[in-house]
Amino acid sequence: MKKIIVFATVILLFRVGYAQKLDRSKRPAPTPAPEVKLGEIKPLELSNGIKIFVVENHKIPTVSYSIVLNIHPALEGDATGTADITSKLITSGTKNRNKDALDSAVDFIGATFNASPTGIYAASLKKQQTKLLELLSDVILNPDFKQTELDKIKTQTLATLEAQKDDPDAISTNVKSVLNFGKAHPYGEITTKESIEKITLEKCNAYYQTYFRPNVAYIAVVGDVTFLEVKSLMEQYLGAWQRAEVPSAAFEIPQAPATRSVAVVNKPGAVQSVINITYPVDLKPNSGEVIKVRVLNAVLGGGASSRLFMNLREKHGYTYGSYSSLNYDELVGEFSAYAKVRNAVTDSSIIEMLAELNRIRTEKVPLEELEGIKNYITGSFAISLEDPATVARFAINIERYHLPKDYYTNYLKTLAAVTVDDVYAMAQKYIHPENATIIVVGDKEAITKKVAQFSPASTVELYDNYGNKINLAAKIIPKGFTAKTVIDNYVKAIGGTKAIQKIKDVRIKMNTKLQGVDVNVITEQKAPNKFVMSFNMGEMTVQKDIFNGVKGKQTGMQGNKEITGDALDELKTQATMNIEMQYQKLGYKLNLKGIEGINGKDAYIIEVVSPKGKKSTEWYDVESGLKVRSSQTADTPQGPMVQTTDILEYKEVEGVKFSSVISMNGAMAMKLTAETIEVNTDIKDTEFRVE
Amino acid sequence: MKISRFLLTTALLGGSLSFAQTNKIKFTEYDLSNGLHVILHEDHSTPIVAVTVLYHVGSKNEDPNRTGFAHFFEHLMFEGSDNIKRGEYMKLVQNAGGELNANTTFDRTFYFEVLPSNQLELGLWMESERMLHSKIDSMGIETQRKVVKEELKQSNENTPYGTILIESFGHAFTEHPYRWTPIGSAEYINKATLKEFIDFYKTFYVPNNATLSIAGDITPAQAKKLISNYFDGIPKSGRTIPRPTIVEPNKTSEVRDTVFDNIQLPAVIMAYHIPGQGMPDYYAVNMLATLLSQGKSSRMQKSIVDKQQKAVFVGAVPVPSEDPGLALMYGVTNMSVSPTDLEAAMSVEFDKVKNELISEEEFQKVKNQIENNFVTGNSKMAGIAESLANYYVYFKDANLINTEIDRYNKVTREDIQKVARTYLTKENRVVLYYLPKQNEIKN
Repeated sequence: MKKIIVFATVILLFRVGYAQKLDRSKRPAPTPAPEVKLGEIKPLELSNGIKIFVVENHKIPTVSYSIVLNIHPALEGDATGTADITSKLITSGTKNRNKDALDSAVDFIGATFNASPTGIYAASLKKQQTKLLELLSDVILNPDFKQTELDKIKTQTLATLEAQKDDPDAISTNVKSVLNFGKAHPYGEITTKESIEKITLEKCNAYYQTYFRPNVAYIAVVGDVTFLEVKSLMEQYLGAWQRAEVPSAAFEIPQAPATRSVAVVNKPGAVQSVINITYPVDLKPNSGEVIKVRVLNAVLGGGASSRLFMNLREKHGYTYGSYSSLNYDELVGEFSAYAKVRNAVTDSSIIEMLAELNRIRTEKVPLEELEGIKNYITGSFAISLEDPATVARFAINIERYHLPKDYYTNYLKTLAAVTVDDVYAMAQKYIHPENATIIVVGDKEAITKKVAQFSPASTVELYDNYGNKINLAAKIIPKGFTAKTVIDNYVKAIGGTKAIQKIKDVRIKMNTKLQGVDVNVITEQKAPNKFVMSFNMGEMTVQKDIFNGVKGKQTGMQGNKEITGDALDELKTQATMNIEMQYQKLGYKLNLKGIEGINGKDAYIIEVVSPKGKKSTEWYDVESGLKVRSSQTADTPQGPMVQTTDILEYKEVEGVKFSSVISMNGAMAMKLTAETIEVNTDIKDTEFRVE
Repeated sequence: MKISRFLLTTALLGGSLSFAQTNKIKFTEYDLSNGLHVILHEDHSTPIVAVTVLYHVGSKNEDPNRTGFAHFFEHLMFEGSDNIKRGEYMKLVQNAGGELNANTTFDRTFYFEVLPSNQLELGLWMESERMLHSKIDSMGIETQRKVVKEELKQSNENTPYGTILIESFGHAFTEHPYRWTPIGSAEYINKATLKEFIDFYKTFYVPNNATLSIAGDITPAQAKKLISNYFDGIPKSGRTIPRPTIVEPNKTSEVRDTVFDNIQLPAVIMAYHIPGQGMPDYYAVNMLATLLSQGKSSRMQKSIVDKQQKAVFVGAVPVPSEDPGLALMYGVTNMSVSPTDLEAAMSVEFDKVKNELISEEEFQKVKNQIENNFVTGNSKMAGIAESLANYYVYFKDANLINTEIDRYNKVTREDIQKVARTYLTKENRVVLYYLPKQNEIKN
């Protein structure tokens, strides 16, 4: 790259020399603007079709090779996430180096080496360049995807998804993708637990073989290298990469909705709402409007002195930051205005955000503001050139987006020519608050009523974390349906009164890992209400709770004691066989509170109040009738905590369904799986002896 | 102010070391008569300039009953000055084509603008305005109180694992002011009076407690004249600048606790007391951390994440600090792995370093990684200006930007083993388990 020419500071010298007394109230004027010139890049094409752009930069002794694939892959469908997982497999071993050997080789030279669904990035010190290219070449030419590595990556990905369940920004991004682009568009496809399970080694191999091809590849080489050096190195290391026909998928352009709607994703207990006012836009990189649109967005919300930030943060103190983006893309672009605000000002914030969107549509931008924004973008452009990779990216963009050859050399000139009327026209074309979806991720209870006003029909649609609509219509409890109906259905679902009454006793052994140790839990229960439950580590019983129908006792490593008071009541409840059938008889009060989604399926919510007034909650699946969750408040050393038990699977024994996989959450999280369920083995009364 | 990121949090998540480059960075430095230290680095490759001021005040200089002051000032000092109207500060820089931001750590606060190089004088004017007569009034305080509260929510309460720094330092320190972290407390900021804010400003935001570091497309002779113009007239402060002398007592027993957070996967944090930055052992600890967690072949990554699959994420990060601080070793459990199990796996890796000298080959790998970090660390002007200022303020030797690598080169394999044995001990640590708070059930 040619050195950027700077006309420096003759005038500056002059000024300073004569500045006698400083007038602090006078803002210093700039000296003449430095000329920002882009260096020329030498392009290079290998016989297999790779297009290479070399940016020589000898400031520091490093080099980077960035491979970018110009591809439009097909929908991933039920195996969404395949491309992501493939990119992880790429760096998980080759035919010559297993994963351990590859990892060691990369780290030994202190290199950065990673892959994405659309490329590979490798960088190191210049002195390690040959070694780096050996690894890059090996990964590209000799891939060897292994089932064991795939399994590991899948587990890791599942855990990451699990972790994201609590990240409001991740949730907002997911829902925004689905609502803006729809599931029939690649940008609207969301990776889920189910889709990960569908990903196979064959699918990953197919993705790699189809899309990682030299004839769709650009490589930006940046650093302490020469053009001639790169040319021979690339021939040597990537010349054998085989070209192939690469299919390119096309999609309908998603349209912004006809009317505004409000979508709420519930994050119980959230202290802030994440707000996104968003819709898809059709803005192509080569539309000729990208620079004007950048100006428009910079006025509205592109930075820390744009209108959204100044209004929501500096004027009102609603938020730490509010921004907007208006992105171009070959398939479909996106507008989004964003803020994260405290619950109480969720509605006020949306009002201000919409007001700013409307203002930029109805009022022309004052000339002074426009000039400031243009200066800002000019400066950002210059600052971006500090990174030599920027120029390489420009060259690649010109190629892949079919931009005029002088697009970036003329960038600042084009920018300087943007007028007040241009910005106004762009606002008419691209800012559409009436056709936006307002997505709010936050505490449903705290915000729903506040945000309904923003949809024309004053309605709010609820979505889950993955952008699936939670069907409110189906949430209306059917007429005549009571808590009793729910319980009756449950009894039917697990086998019916007749079958249940035939069960006189049951012994269940469940296994789990607790604090890293294998633990089993054995419960024995005998009608009507004898009960014993023991926690065992190997042969050793840690604790055993026994109830003989009247009295309770605890034995184990912490000594023996009688169970009394609240704990006895709790044990009594637990001891009663099929207590659901006897709620009424025993004086429990049941209230049907509504319907809500549990693990993606609708369930009736039943509040259970014990004769002594202790409340707990149970959820019964609308479709199957089975109990899917229960929760109650437990006293723990950390204070009261809600303990939840999810019943994930049932197993049928002697015509009756027993919960066989349960997952507990709360003070302690664990998953228990039934190893054996035995019924009517005639458990002796002596098992339940308390004395 | 705007994305007032905490360097520490960034270091924690990024998990990487940051050093200067080995290609020699030339600079000149001198003092003004009012005590302001000036460092200039000339580089004409891009027509931009970074104008930065480092104030040697961080959260450790705060009154224990007024924590959060240094960070609050990071917001307040964008409110304007006698000659810059409220709300104009950011606009001026943006309209000049520049970027600006600031950040606060335990030990110092750093303000910077990156501007087109023809706007150098504007940057100097603005920083001198800020130093001479920042606008500290009740209106600005009220607005920024609200903003900081939102920042607290965003970075602590609404971010999974967002309180790791606060909890680690809060449990590890009982006496030293590192027991609170820069983000501070909303309660104290609410209580503070206007007079207290003004006092804090007059004590710490003075030329004799500041370093002006400039890097980029400048001519030093001209820059010097401009600096003299704008900064000479700022009076030196007569106040003594309070620096904490409290030494945290040696630890004799392990501290262990549980934190409930809005998370799905439990995490284990093991925080070990380590010497402050610049001490010989600190460099060895840094290399130990590199050995443990930098790169996929590092000990913790390979064994715990890849082979045993007990964690989805692990890290070992010495938090750089002026006084003795902490190295955080942490992991987020894989699904259905208990924190105890993960803790045991981490301990196995620590014991291995203690018991077996690392091989020559692995040692070479760590050295190569350190060299690479050092060379690539400072490729941008703002980063160079910041490093120069840090090195000067902490070590009185800005040239460490070129030579700090020598200190790493002195570390031996035995040193790494020694620091593992010395610092990675049970009594020297805090162990925290982050466990999922039960999702509240709403009817």
